[in-house]
Order: sequence, then structure tokens, then C-alpha cells
Amino acid sequence: MFTRSDDKITSSQATVFLTNSILGAGILTLPRVLTNAAETPDVWLSLIIGGCIIFCLIIVMVKLSQQFPGKTVFQYAGSIAGRFLAIFPCLLLIVYFIVIAGFEIRVLAEVTLFFLLEGTPMWAVLIPFIWVSVYLITGGINVISRLFQLILPISLLVLLVSYLMSLRIFEIDNLRPVLGDGLMPVFQGIKSTVLVFSGIEVTMLLVGYMESPKQAVKAMIAGVSIPLIIYLITVVIVIGGMSTDAIMRSTWPTIDLLRSFEVSGLFFERLEFPFLVIWMTQLFCNFSCYFYSASLGISQLFKLRLRVVIFALIPLIYISALIPTRMNEVFEVGDFIGWTGLAMFLLIPLPLSIIWLIRRKGMKINV
Amino acid sequence: MWSVIIDHIPNWKIWMQGFAAMFIAMAFYITHKKLFAWGKQGTLRTSKQDQNKEQQQLSGNFDTDVVAIKERIGSNSDVNFRDFRISIRSSKALLVFVEGMQDEEIISKQVMQVLMDNSVPKTEGYAIQNDAQAFSTYIKEKILPVCKVREVSEIGELVEFILLGFNALLIDGMSNALLVGEPKPKVRSINEPTSEALLRGPRVGFTEVLSENTALLRQHGRTEELQLTMVEVGNRIKSNIVIAYMKEIVNPELLKEVEDRISNINHDFIAESGYIEQLIEDNWLSPFQQVQNTERPDRVINAMLEGKVGILLDGTPFALIVPVTFSMLLQSPEDYYERWLPSSLLRMLRFFVAFLALMTPAVYISFISFHPGLIPTELTITIIETRQGVPFPSIIEVLILEISIEILREAGIRLPKPIGPAMGIVGGLIIGDAAVQAGIVSPILVITVAVTAISSFAIPIYSAGITLRMLRFVGMIFAAMMGMFGTILFFLIICIHMSKLKSFGVPYVTPHSPYRLSDWKDLFIRVPVSLMKQRPKMMKTKDDKRK
Repeated sequence: MFTRSDDKITSSQATVFLTNSILGAGILTLPRVLTNAAETPDVWLSLIIGGCIIFCLIIVMVKLSQQFPGKTVFQYAGSIAGRFLAIFPCLLLIVYFIVIAGFEIRVLAEVTLFFLLEGTPMWAVLIPFIWVSVYLITGGINVISRLFQLILPISLLVLLVSYLMSLRIFEIDNLRPVLGDGLMPVFQGIKSTVLVFSGIEVTMLLVGYMESPKQAVKAMIAGVSIPLIIYLITVVIVIGGMSTDAIMRSTWPTIDLLRSFEVSGLFFERLEFPFLVIWMTQLFCNFSCYFYSASLGISQLFKLRLRVVIFALIPLIYISALIPTRMNEVFEVGDFIGWTGLAMFLLIPLPLSIIWLIRRKGMKINV
Repeated sequence: MWSVIIDHIPNWKIWMQGFAAMFIAMAFYITHKKLFAWGKQGTLRTSKQDQNKEQQQLSGNFDTDVVAIKERIGSNSDVNFRDFRISIRSSKALLVFVEGMQDEEIISKQVMQVLMDNSVPKTEGYAIQNDAQAFSTYIKEKILPVCKVREVSEIGELVEFILLGFNALLIDGMSNALLVGEPKPKVRSINEPTSEALLRGPRVGFTEVLSENTALLRQHGRTEELQLTMVEVGNRIKSNIVIAYMKEIVNPELLKEVEDRISNINHDFIAESGYIEQLIEDNWLSPFQQVQNTERPDRVINAMLEGKVGILLDGTPFALIVPVTFSMLLQSPEDYYERWLPSSLLRMLRFFVAFLALMTPAVYISFISFHPGLIPTELTITIIETRQGVPFPSIIEVLILEISIEILREAGIRLPKPIGPAMGIVGGLIIGDAAVQAGIVSPILVITVAVTAISSFAIPIYSAGITLRMLRFVGMIFAAMMGMFGTILFFLIICIHMSKLKSFGVPYVTPHSPYRLSDWKDLFIRVPVSLMKQRPKMMKTKDDKRK
């Protein structure tokens, strides 16, 4: 087939889609969140353990979705648990996506207003951003993944270069002693790491869109591994460069790290500038992911046209972004999202898998 | 609990803003949809034109036929009627031709001289006296030493052929008219293509004559796989289009799509291949071209070998290649003729150059007006010092210089050749320097604008350069409104637009995305020719190995 009319994505596109839905605001806040929770430099260990837990969750979700090729969670939930029972967790999932979307652009607006555009009203940052995103997601999942694939390599390159340059203030002593406080703090950090990966629920949508769902496990694991590695590097570099005490006092530790040294011989003075640029495009991708997922959910659940839903969601997302009034509340929303993410897992893929297993294996009913 | 919730319900202003955002977005969307459909309707043929004019057959009676023809085209001053008598049977005969469109020597020597000559070849076997058909066969087979002869029996068709430049020969006693002698089109000598000059590579460009162009293709691509199909377009004035492709390589669905779109062209006259381009493109609202034009036969051949389709039009040296992707616009045939190392470096340079041409003024504006703190302090101080006398905000400053550069460029095309370079010096150097002296613009800006202008000319395809130059102004407006944030938004919009755009079903951003790693061998880096064993995957060719 030369001209494709079906909305299917390749495995690499699915990988990049998942990567972009995870890699968002966390880059800036993760070091602080983790260090606050564990109060030890060993948080990178928590991150690795947390990543392994996430791998398990992903596998459960992929395995469940693979049973219903070509369908998203909003479509197959009904056929597993019955339409009435399924509609509430699905609605919760949609609200969850909307809240994340609102949170992401709120963080974006806060950072932009703080570092780049002081004194600009917040709506002037939020609304154009939402509009551009609408322009993107009206194109469907294919266009979205194409854009993500364009942007992700540039983002990764700039991120890694920024981190490499900051190695000059990296001190290995800041990471020592390994396990100096024992294992307990490491375990305390795990819960916060799991929160960073909120958004993996997108997996249950993506598998339905994959060209070859058989490769879904590989693609999705790769999609989580990329952000996991980036987060790992971020945490190690930031802790190594700033020490735990400094991190706990700073709002955006990663930016503060990059602001703390100058590079000469370039047109910009500090690496914070390319980093912010990349981070903003990354956040755009991240936001569009959730915006799209939420509108897709509503349109599939209530059989509405996708474009109508997208437009109707604009005010909802805008308002949800502006509900927290202070910065602290924004971060509280962030924590809340993390917890809800865990709850989402317990509410949707887990019961669905169990019900599906019971009906399939126990009662021999073909669902 | 409740007080917290009520506390956090946003005030009416935010609600208003939210809904206003929605309605504006919807208005934009609907306008765009309407506009798109409005532009598309012109390109689609709604109903086939009524083409059956009244058919009028030649009667076979010499005098009535001559009168009928004269009635139709006799009033034209350039249509010549030459009456004479042929030697056989001494029948009356008439030659009709349009002046200047054929080789008169051939007509005189090989048609008239032969017919009027008294040494008539033997007529045995031809019942020339009573049978009109036999007579014309005899004339064709025994008498006329011209290689192309055709019989026409319908007056309308005959008149059309005469006006196209054929010689029509009518002889008393023959039921049909004979077309002897082809039109001899005015041929310009084959020159080096001016819009795509290369240092290394064939110095051959297409000309305005279709048959010459197809001959050039045949000459370069000596294979039986090269298929050239002729199609006629134009409702009022017909022009010939040749669709060229490699039979064993091209994807049949792509070919069908191209043929369909061309047959759907509904326009009275196709003056240049630009008309075809605009009538068959996917998205008429896009600033990016979705059809590539070229003057180079080697480019067309190479494209066909990659599974693309070439479209040649009579009357223009510009051939079209479809489909096109963004990466193709930054490629030059020279990339393949030079060795791989310099070619790869040039490729990467062009990507960088495209970025510069698009973004430099926007980045300048956002740095100067919004974030001077982000550039090195010494540079900031220098810039501020030089800008002290400038009374305008940076956007106006940039616009002044950018627009004057555009004016210079436009004027440079119109100017006669000897004055052109002089004008460039006057415009570029003197005005730029004087503007700095006068304190209208800052010297840093002159550098910025010059770099941008040169960058946009470094792009190998002229029309792609225009696109980037156009978009750069949009970028400046975004930057002037929201600084770096606006610039990022602008960049995102361009990327989104390119992700959405398709040219004949091929996404415009392939092979950057979706990743086709095997196609990346010919993207940023041009690997050695010995390693390019496969045709581009994105074209979904029938035969993917380069054998």
C-alpha cells in the first residue's frame, strides 16, 4: 500500500510516543523530589529499583492490551467488565489525563514566566501553547508520532551535551558514601520514583495502534528505558554537581545546576538556555500526549467525533491548569498525580487482567 | 473541605479566557477547512467537458472540401494555401500549411517537386483511375519520400493538425487528406541550466521542446524500462504532458495517483509546469512545495531510479518530480558526483543553513528584545552600545533591513545583466553601511541579515529557498511577540505542519520520521556509492535492490 489511510504506527514510533509521554516536567524536579523523600545521595538506586517495578507494570498492561488487537483500553474495558462497570475507571483515567495535561502546562508556564518572560500574564503563555497542541493532535496519532520522532533525537542530543558540559563541576564525593544510611532510605525513595513515571497508562492506548502488536513488549520496554536512563543520568549529574543539601533548597535543581557555571566560546553564556528550549519542546510533546489521550478516551467512550472533543477540552485543560493558585500547590498536584497514577494501575489494568483471566481460563468464555 | 474547593474555583475571567480560547481555535479550524475546500474545488474536474463538436467528414469532392477548410481557417494571415496540379492525371492539388512552422525546403523538394515531376513511377497494381483509396495508397507508397504520412478524414481534426504545424495535402480524387511533413518546432540550443548550475556534472538542461526533452531522457537512460506516456491536458488550448517512470521500479499505486490527478486537471491552458504543480499538489495552503521542479535530465533520471515519477510539459524546460520530501529539497545532484566525504559535509551544512535561513532573525529579535541576559555579557554590552542610536524596537529594525534585502533581490532579477552586480554592491554594501552610519540599524544586525540572506541562497532548490525566506518573517513576528517562547512555538508549528504534510501520500518529513534507518544513508550523510545498494524504502518500490 502506498498511501496509508489507516491510523497505525510502527514499533519505533510507539517507543518514541511512550518516551515522550514520560519525559516531561520530571527532568527539572526529579532530583529534588527524590532527595526530599530519601535524604540520601543513593536515590539513583531507588530509581533503578523503581524502574524495574515500572517494567513489570508495563508488561501487565501490554499483555492485557495484546489480547485485543486494534483496540484501546477505552474500547476493550467494556467487553471485559461490562460497559457499566468499565465506564467509571475509564472516566477516571480521562480525568487523570486532563489533570496531568493541565499540570504539565502549568509547570511550563511557571518556568517560562520565571526564566524567560517575566511580567507576562499567564494566559498569554498557556493559550498559544494549547492552540499549537490542538493543531498537532487534530492530525491524529500518525502526525503526532512523526513530530515526536523529529524532536526526540534533538532533545536527547542537547540534554546529553548539557550534562556532559556540567561534568566539570561534578564531584564524585557528593554521591558518596554509597548506602551510607543503609537500605531504608533507598526504599523510601522508590515510591517517589514510581510517581515520576506517571503516564505509562498511555501504553494501553498505544498497543492498539501498533502495526505489529507482537513487538509491543519490546517497544514499550524500550519506551520506558529511554526516560529511565535520562532520569538516571539527570539524578546522578545533578546530585554530583550540587550535593543533596543544595538540591533540597532549590525549586528547579536541574536548571540551577546548569546556571551555576558558564561556558565560553558560544553565543549563549550558560547552558540553561539550550536546555530550557529543549525542555519546552519536550514538555510540548508531553502535554500533547495527554491532551490526545484524553480526547481519544472521551471520543471512544461516548462515540463522539475526535475533533469536537479536542476543541471542547481546550477550556477544561486551561482551567485545570489554573486551579492551583500557588507554586506549592502545583507541586502538590504533581505528587497527587503520582499517587493517582499508582491507583490507576490498581483500578484499571490489574482488575481487568484478573477478570479477563477468570473469564477466559476459569469460565472458558471467549471475550 | 468545601471552603478549599470553593477557594480554588477559578474566577469568571479564567472561564472566559478558556472558552474564548476554544472559540477562537474553532473559528480558525472552520475557516481553514472552508478555505481549503474552496481552493481545492478549482482543481477537480466536476464533469467531463462536452468534447463532441460537430463532426464533419471530408466529402471527397475537392472543391467543396477546399471551401470548407478555407471557411474555417482561411482568414488567418499565416495559413498558406498553395494550389498546384500534380503530374499524374494532372489533378488539382492543394497544400495547406502554417507559415514558419515547418521546413519549407522539405515541402518544396520532397512534396511539391516530386508530385509535379513528370517521371511518374509505374502505376501497375494500383487502380488509381477509379478508386480513391487506391490512389492515396499509391501516392503514399510510391511517390512521397517523407517518413511520416498520415491520413485524416475529418475536417475539424485536419484543421487542428494544420494549425499545429503539419502540412495538409489535398488532391482531387482522393477521399482523405494527407498529412505530410511534421511541424518543426523552434529549438533553442541546449544550454546549461541556469537555475541549477553545478560545478561537476552534466551541463545539459531541458529545453522548451517536449520531444527534445524526452530524447534527452532516452539518451541518458538507455533502458527499455524507461516508459514515457503522453497525456493531453488543457480544455481550450491543448498541451502535451509526458509522464516518465521506470516500469519495473515505480510503485503502481503512486503511478495511478499521478495519472489520476493529471487527468483531473481542469484548466483552459497549461502555460508552464508550475500550473501542473499547483493543480496536482496535495495542500494548496502550505508554504512548502509538494512537487519538485528541475531543469536537469540527470536529476529526473536519478529520481526515476528511486521510484519517483517525472512529469514533462511541452513548452517549458522545467520538469516536475513527484513525490517530494523535505530532505530532497536540500540535496543537489552534485552530492552524488563528488566523493562521499565532501558531499556528506555539504549535506550537513545545508541542514544547518536551512535552519539559519529560517531562524536567525527570530533568534536575534528574541535575544535583543527579551533575553539579553542569555548571551555573553561582553557581547551584550557591544550590541547595546551599537544599538544606542537606533530609535526603533528590534523587530522594526530587522524588518527594515530584511525588506530592503528582499527588494534588492527582486530588483536584481529584473535588472539587465551588466547592471545587476553593480546594483548588488550599491544595495548591499553602501546602503547597509550608510544605514549603520545613519543610526537606523545596528552593525550586528547587518551581519545577521546578511548571513540569513546568503543562507537562503545556499539552498540548492530556489523555490525551497523562497519558502524559508517567507516563513522567516512569520518567525520574526512570533519572536517579537513572545521572545524565545514564541520562537519555540514557531519552530514547533513548522515541524507540526511538515509532519502533517504529505506529497502524493509520502509524509513530507520521511525519512527523518518515521525512522527508516536504511534511508538515512542518504540523508545527513551520503554514504559511498558502493554501499547504496537499495532504493529508498519510503518510495515502496517494486524492486528495492539497485542491481
